[in-house]
Amino acid sequence: MLLLKGAKIYPVVGDVLEEGMILVGDDGKIKEIGKEISAPDDAEILDLTDKVVIPGLIDCHSHLGIWGDGEGPSSYDGNESVDPITPQIRAIESANPLQSSFEAAREGGITTVQILPGSSNPIGGLGFVCKTYGNIIDEMTLKNPSALKGALGENPKRNHGQNRKQAPFTRMGIASLIRNYFYEAAEYGQRKEKAEVSGEPFCIDLKYESGLKVLKKEIPFRIHAHRQDDIVTAIRLCEELDIDYSIEHCTEGHLIAEYLGKKKVTAMVGPGLSAPQKTENARLTNINAAILNKAGVKVCLITDHPFLNCRYFLHYAAIAYKYGLPFEEAMKSITLYPAEALGIRDRVGSLEVGKDADFVVLGGEPFTLKGRVEATYIEGRCVWKRELY
Amino acid sequence: MVGIVNARIETVSDGVIDEGQIVISEGKIFDIGTDVNLDYCSQIIDARGRTVTPGIIDAHTHIGLHEQGIGWEGNDVNEAGNPVAPWCRARDGINMLDEAFEMFRQSGITSIGVFPGSANVVGGTGIAIKCCGTIVDEAVIKDPVGMKVALGENPKRVYGEMKKTPSTRMANAAVLRDLLTRTKYYLEAKSRGKNGLKTDRECEAMIPVIKKEIPLIIHCHRHDDIVTAVRICREFDVKFVLEHVTDGYMLVDFLKEQDTHCALGPLLSPHLKVENCNGTFRTPVYFAREGVPFCLITDHPVISGKNIILTAAIAIQWGLSHEDALRAITLEAARHLGIDDRVGSLEKGKDADLVIWSDDPFEFTTFVDITIINGEIVYKR
Repeated sequence: MLLLKGAKIYPVVGDVLEEGMILVGDDGKIKEIGKEISAPDDAEILDLTDKVVIPGLIDCHSHLGIWGDGEGPSSYDGNESVDPITPQIRAIESANPLQSSFEAAREGGITTVQILPGSSNPIGGLGFVCKTYGNIIDEMTLKNPSALKGALGENPKRNHGQNRKQAPFTRMGIASLIRNYFYEAAEYGQRKEKAEVSGEPFCIDLKYESGLKVLKKEIPFRIHAHRQDDIVTAIRLCEELDIDYSIEHCTEGHLIAEYLGKKKVTAMVGPGLSAPQKTENARLTNINAAILNKAGVKVCLITDHPFLNCRYFLHYAAIAYKYGLPFEEAMKSITLYPAEALGIRDRVGSLEVGKDADFVVLGGEPFTLKGRVEATYIEGRCVWKRELY
Repeated sequence: MVGIVNARIETVSDGVIDEGQIVISEGKIFDIGTDVNLDYCSQIIDARGRTVTPGIIDAHTHIGLHEQGIGWEGNDVNEAGNPVAPWCRARDGINMLDEAFEMFRQSGITSIGVFPGSANVVGGTGIAIKCCGTIVDEAVIKDPVGMKVALGENPKRVYGEMKKTPSTRMANAAVLRDLLTRTKYYLEAKSRGKNGLKTDRECEAMIPVIKKEIPLIIHCHRHDDIVTAVRICREFDVKFVLEHVTDGYMLVDFLKEQDTHCALGPLLSPHLKVENCNGTFRTPVYFAREGVPFCLITDHPVISGKNIILTAAIAIQWGLSHEDALRAITLEAARHLGIDDRVGSLEKGKDADLVIWSDDPFEFTTFVDITIINGEIVYKR
């Protein structure tokens, strides 16, 4: 057992403890949290006096392990970009847990990620959720599949229309491909059901199985949409199809915040340390998260790693805080809200009894120069520690 | 005349002045200190509780050449038809109305180095400009500041994919060596008035390099590319500065011996290429400790220029001192570009380029309150 003591604790759910304690069981779960805990004599003591403890960060839109960090094109495994509709592919089968990006995530205080395929295709494939420490991806996984990835806007147009001279060439084309796919998946579902009733042999089609999961609301559709009209199209499509969804990036959300608030949208906002190099993200602004939050949109911040180096996830949240996202909301946008959006709130996202002991030790208050990540723990085990150069 | 009073002034060249004053006249710093005559000031800015630093300088950007938020139409960074393009000038491609300029001013950036990209082994001349105005020719501080050269992955990828040379590191070096050799001969022939010497626009553009009037500005990430850069420059006895220097922490002793200056970064960028996969804040921390001169850069738009202050702040989190971090984005950046006679520190006689910060410049929640370039307020929160 491990006893943390002396630190200021932000559990995110529940009161801040000025000098709190956390007891971690041998199963890697939080056994107790509070001001004073009597731990067994043999418990290992972790003295964190003057430090701050926050829950492990959760990045719900990442390409960790599938984008060739430092390995070049031989490891570019994020986009199966030949065919615009590839719902059968699964990110878990590209993700290399020994790629340096996983360590980068731990350095950034990220303990849980959702890894999604890229955005070359209108229907990109299945994402999954995993912890950031381990060497067998299946043992690290919390949920698979966790979502079906989709993409509107420039990327599918460029990849297919411009580069390969094949559909989609336009935004209209992208929307119609997505719509057609789901209608076909629905018909497939009816055929499958009929066959089940009649007992006739039925050949599973893995392409449609993914869409069927979305139509049955077993997993959400996560749609890449930067420009405001792409965001509106995403909502239109998902309402028509009656499916759960989230808006990925939501870069121009600040221009239509009221509409998004009315629709009770979940927005995955980011990345944001590079300058906009595409037209669709030209109106990237640091105040986006604050405006969306104020309008009632549930905001999760994302790295979209490698597009925002995941080492700097907490800094990205500090920027959102600086530009008006309230402190508590900024904290939740990288912990609790992503856990809720991913449906894993029972395991992670806050420091509560019974949950995984995933936490980050900071040198001072969050979002300050002093508050750098000093150590990252997953299930009670130290998986990264800062050593000054 | 404009006076700034009650400020905590970080001069960079001469320590910190508490409760200090600065008087600006005709675009220059007229006086600075704790007992400055303010009688002739027509405007007084009270900076109580706030910090004043020199204007921030990002020594390596592609602002205006690779415009933000625009695709192909706004991308003029690489003349990638010939690996040798020394006749290109960054000045001819800079759109001063690139939206990034306003963002830079909001972020306290007052001077910048703008260079052609790194697709070509020899990419053309770079320029140092002020971050204001709509006429590039009026914004110039120094042109050219140097000749851009690239080693490593970029040229060999771009030309290798076209099935052209260079497609290896050996050929990157050979292409550069060939041009320097030809220019040496050309210059000698020209100065001797050789009959029938045809004008060679490549060699003409390289003459200032051979004459040591301007340095080569060399893109090199990997340790072996850094060493190759030094080898070639020594061989031809030319001046040089090094850009990116990602693996620099492996070569501290080697670089200490070189009379050069390194522009480190962009350190916030992901390690998407093999040549920058070792990107780490070790490099600036080691360099500061061992006395290898360096500045920090964003390579905008690779990392948005507005995050240069964040880059320096993260370097502090890794152990760089506050003073070294500020130097790395002001005076050392000016030295890198050879413009430190005009900008980079708050001294009498230098350009009145400065920033008034709401608090400690490196705190994540600090805002730029006022940016001043050439004595004019160009941004106010």
